[in-house]
Amino acid sequence: MGAALLVLLLAAAPTQEPPRPSPTPPSSCLQCHLELGGQAAEPVAGMRDDVHAGKGLSCHDCHGGNAAAGHDGDIDAAHDAAKGWREAPTRLQVPQFCARCHADAEYMKRFNPHTRIDQLGEYRTSVHGRKNAAGDARTAVCIDCHGVHGIRAVADARSSVHPTHLADTCARCHADAGLMDQYGMPTAQYADYKTSVHAQALYGKGDLAAPTCNDCHGSHGAVPPGVGSVANVCGSCHGREASLFRETEQKKGLELDLCIQCMVCHDNHAVKAPTPDMLGVGPRSTCISCHGEGEPEYAAASRMGAGLERLRAGLADARGRLERAEQAGVEVSEDQFALQKAQDHVVEARVLVHSFDEERFQAAVAEGAAVVETGHTAGRRAFRELRERRIGLGISLIVIVAVIAGLVLKVRQIEAD
Amino acid sequence: MNRRSWLDVFLGTSVGAMLASVFYPVLRYLVPPELPEAPTTRALAAREGDLRPNQGRVFRFGSRAGLLVRLPDGNYRAFDGTCTHLNCTVQYRPDLQQIWCACHNGYYDLGGRNVAGPPPRPLDGWEVHVVNGEVVVTRKA
Amino acid sequence: MSTAPDAPLRRLWGWLDERAGLSALVEMARHKRVPLHRHTLWYYLGGMALFLFSIQVGTGILLLLYYRGSAGEAFESVQFIMAKAPFGWLVRSLHSWSANVLVFVVFAHMFSTFFLKAYRRPRELTWFTGMALLGLMLAFGFSGYLLPWNTLAFFATQVGTEVAGSVPVVGRFALRLLRGGDQVTGGTLTRFYGIHVAVLPALTTVVLGVHLVLVQRHGMSVPPGVEDEGRRTGRAPRTLPFLPNFLLRDAIGWCAALGVLAALAALFPWELGTKADPFAPAPAGIRPEWYFGFMFQTLKMLPGHVLGIEGELLGIVAFTLGALVWLVAPLVDRRPGHRASRAFTVLGWAVLAYIAAFTALMYVKS
Repeated sequence: MGAALLVLLLAAAPTQEPPRPSPTPPSSCLQCHLELGGQAAEPVAGMRDDVHAGKGLSCHDCHGGNAAAGHDGDIDAAHDAAKGWREAPTRLQVPQFCARCHADAEYMKRFNPHTRIDQLGEYRTSVHGRKNAAGDARTAVCIDCHGVHGIRAVADARSSVHPTHLADTCARCHADAGLMDQYGMPTAQYADYKTSVHAQALYGKGDLAAPTCNDCHGSHGAVPPGVGSVANVCGSCHGREASLFRETEQKKGLELDLCIQCMVCHDNHAVKAPTPDMLGVGPRSTCISCHGEGEPEYAAASRMGAGLERLRAGLADARGRLERAEQAGVEVSEDQFALQKAQDHVVEARVLVHSFDEERFQAAVAEGAAVVETGHTAGRRAFRELRERRIGLGISLIVIVAVIAGLVLKVRQIEAD
Repeated sequence: MNRRSWLDVFLGTSVGAMLASVFYPVLRYLVPPELPEAPTTRALAAREGDLRPNQGRVFRFGSRAGLLVRLPDGNYRAFDGTCTHLNCTVQYRPDLQQIWCACHNGYYDLGGRNVAGPPPRPLDGWEVHVVNGEVVVTRKA
Repeated sequence: MSTAPDAPLRRLWGWLDERAGLSALVEMARHKRVPLHRHTLWYYLGGMALFLFSIQVGTGILLLLYYRGSAGEAFESVQFIMAKAPFGWLVRSLHSWSANVLVFVVFAHMFSTFFLKAYRRPRELTWFTGMALLGLMLAFGFSGYLLPWNTLAFFATQVGTEVAGSVPVVGRFALRLLRGGDQVTGGTLTRFYGIHVAVLPALTTVVLGVHLVLVQRHGMSVPPGVEDEGRRTGRAPRTLPFLPNFLLRDAIGWCAALGVLAALAALFPWELGTKADPFAPAPAGIRPEWYFGFMFQTLKMLPGHVLGIEGELLGIVAFTLGALVWLVAPLVDRRPGHRASRAFTVLGWAVLAYIAAFTALMYVKS
């Protein structure tokens, strides 16, 4: 009945605010634990923000027992096994404990028809899950990532598993050398990720579409992507590059898995924005990490790098010319806009690197070069116009000087009389 | 006498030339240019017949890129061509009949709504009018 | 002297003269004579100002055909004029350069009449209308500067109207009147546009008309030094007929000015900058056009507070008083050679030096 009362109170709460339990606890669990204070009161404090409490659930919904009895302090009446009382689970028992509801389709659909119920199944496939099944109590369980009595919804920006906090949550263990050494696991991933362009997008620009740990590793089925599936993982956002890469594998019959695909040229955690000097045969090129001088691939890489560089240099030159023309007073905003297309071709060429097909790449470069050429033509036209203006000025100045000379002579003539 | 009239002729012609060099630019200025006004609220996106049905093209609207789409039924739709994710220029995919951004695989439907991928907001839609064989796009300034 | 080819022209002239009384005007012009002495060169400045003003009116009307006075379109329309309208770049650059040259010439004209004491009786009204015209030209410059709606102009207007707002008593009202609100917005632009193309031209027409009529009525003033010389030697001052001698000389000056302006417009086209963004922070180094420079620089250099009064307020009051003293010069300086007269000459040099120095200072500092 206490539960029913609690539910009623919660239901009566104003709709604008997130539902929260009534400040004066009618349930014996809440009342007792608050009164006990100290460690016993910790769970109650967190409940205020908990997503479960917000949905009208309380202590006994997870732990069982009788919330209507025990107000007088009779602990056994409250912790009544007949009413389903279960002690707090051990770490190893936590996944099963949460799954009692979260894997129950009928139960979960009452709260959210779209919610997933396969988290436990996924978890069992993960490294964490397998270690848990093998009896390792240190490995991550539900409460390590989600919290225990103050669990917030994933979409809540304050949640420990919200995209903006998820990496920090994973890093609690995975950046802890003391813990990871016992498993022979590296700990540089978090620091590496923080230097990446993905982290910059997520934390710097607030782009929630930017990937964090779970976007590549999965949320509950956390596994490092297998060597054969790196391209698929990256390709879930970088679709064009990944499909071009796959085409290469098929067309050339290459076993690019040996090179762990995307990771060869781009890192996995410390992914930086790609730079043009990664292509070609220069010191920072990634091509030469596999291809040596003398190989046909080396020569192709050299040509491709040179082609891209020519295009970029040409574009910068055309842009500069138009800018100079603009400074000199010729209006060139339309031509500058047209040059944008060349930038699109540069991007296209850079994407086509992933096809490892020199012909296709050079075709894109050639298209870009054509646009750059129109830019150069526009620049030449602009400077021609400037020259024409100066010629026009020259002519009119000559005419004006002639008029002035005529006037001077006329004045002299008049005054000579 | 001779010198007097020579000077007058010289002065007369040079003044005439000067006036011509003043009035020539003025007259040219008064004749309207090909595009009668600055494209701030109104831009010529294409001429009728430039686009086949189920084809799109990027056009310039002031300082922004725009996307003009000719639907399979022949009607035109125009959108702000800047992707709402990271500002790449979007394009029309006739095979999907959707608007696509190549940078990170963002998709918009033909109403401009962002339907897949990272874009957080729909594309602004602009009005299209077909007038005298010209496809004109307008938007509020 | 009438020969056969002239006959139709003569008949036309006769027809117009009978109805409009043109021959009386021509007679008056024929009689007009200009004194010839070592300071005659300064006489050309007034006509030069008139010529430059006509260029402003002409190019201004041409600009009106393409310009749009709303925040959403002003910048783009000027861009259009520069890029798409045939010779639009020339019309606009001429207008901008000529505006600056005009302000310079008007200042020079004012200083030359001041030092040559042309404001003495009976020419006090000419001086007053002349000062009014100077104010009108400065108002033209201030209002016109905003019209392209670019970043520099936007913030310069903000600073300028802010200064207007610090005038005691009426400042707040004046600021709101100028800005069309509390901030500089598209409303300000439209207001300035109306002021620039309608209000100021109307006022100028009237004041300029009075000024020119007065100049014709009183003829050209002879500087005191030359007058004294004439009295001493007993010789009447040499004069030049206005028509055609002086006018031809005027024309030489005007053609030269036209050539200079054409060169400036073609070689140094007036830049457009970037479109104004009211929400962006002000870029560093905002300053008004050069002709407001000395006032701007002075206000910047005044200490925050002087004897409990706000420094800027003190500066504005000082400028107002200074302008008043300058304005009443003809009423105080009545007798040449008198102490007051010499004091005004010294004052004139001091003011000229001050303006030159502080204008230069503004450029050096930025």
